[in-house]
Amino acid sequence: MSNNSSDSDSSPGDWTTDSPMVSNPAESTYVESQVIMTTVRAVTPFSLTYGLFLMFHGADSPGGSFQGGAIIAATVLMIAFAFGVAPTREWLRNRTVVALAAGGTAAFALVGLVPMAFGDSFLAHPLFEEEFGINTKWGLEAIEVGGVAPIVAGVLVGLFFVLAAGMFRDGDATEPRTDGGAANHNRATRSRTGEEGSPTPSTGTEARTDDAGMPAEDTTTGTGGDR
Amino acid sequence: MTELFAAALFVFVLVTALATAALRDVLGVVVVFAAYSLGTALFYAFLLAPDVAMTEAAIGAGVTTLLLLLTLAKTVRPTPDQRLERPNLPALAVFGALFVVLVATVVEFPAVGEPGVMWDNPGVTQYYIENAYEDTGVENAVTAVLAGYRGFDTFGEAVVVFSAGIASLIVLRQVVFTRE
Repeated sequence: MSNNSSDSDSSPGDWTTDSPMVSNPAESTYVESQVIMTTVRAVTPFSLTYGLFLMFHGADSPGGSFQGGAIIAATVLMIAFAFGVAPTREWLRNRTVVALAAGGTAAFALVGLVPMAFGDSFLAHPLFEEEFGINTKWGLEAIEVGGVAPIVAGVLVGLFFVLAAGMFRDGDATEPRTDGGAANHNRATRSRTGEEGSPTPSTGTEARTDDAGMPAEDTTTGTGGDR
Repeated sequence: MTELFAAALFVFVLVTALATAALRDVLGVVVVFAAYSLGTALFYAFLLAPDVAMTEAAIGAGVTTLLLLLTLAKTVRPTPDQRLERPNLPALAVFGALFVVLVATVVEFPAVGEPGVMWDNPGVTQYYIENAYEDTGVENAVTAVLAGYRGFDTFGEAVVVFSAGIASLIVLRQVVFTRE
């Protein structure tokens, strides 16, 4: 609460007050640009291919799955900047991002645990050759392509979308997030709740802080209005 | 020609680094920092470390800049009262001492691409250079070290990256990355 009130109490001259604590400025500040959209349309096939090439060919040439995963994520970020964060976020479902990050970690651990099941050390790749006749190289490829690249791509894309969605501030839990951002400013929130007789009392800052701790329902219902 | 290119690159990296530290305007700092990162990536490529150069270009110049710009768009940006940061004298003294120590070690390195250099730790570095292909069947020695010899370290790093994604959800009090 303390930082929030200091925001609203500071003199307007010190800040760019035109957009104070906007809830979804990534959407609201989005400007459709023909130049950027055309450029991104032309570049994304190549950057995605390059990312996949680095990922699959990293064992035999410079690069690797970390770089490949980062470039794949950067491709998604470029698309989001050209065509807006909101449509991209709806096109790329949460399940996909989580599956990439969590599945990559699980796959990495699984590849490491297989040699342990046969009594060798964690990630002892030569065991694959001794036990199954699989070239040692494929053990390394498995953790690079199946582990590192999905983790990096998933986490970077997820981080971007989480930052674009913004943080739940004290007013957010009671106010729909689609109110053009002004609802999140503390002064605006107070006046609105006072006028409309919202169930949240205008002076009940503690109650609002508690509400902010449970943003689960508001995330989906509140942002769904943007569509 | 190469020396000229390296010198120009060095000056570019130095100027952008100093500008990143000295500028007051946050948006300007983000843009200059991206330029610094791109210059550093070129520098890594020049020092025959293409793997590190790609990482620096993709993460440092690309993704980090986008995330910082997005953060700026999400928050209020104070208009700076002055153009440049006032230098902090004790911090400058510490930096000067550290600079002397680092430069003293740099001059001891062998020149880039000098043939016949044996590393001081033949048990590790030289072993990787000589045996990486026979041991792992992977032609890129960096990949062989990262995924093979140092696979457990890489697993730790991967878990750190994964945890960072979870932590960002918790810190920003979100429950999902994207909308369902």
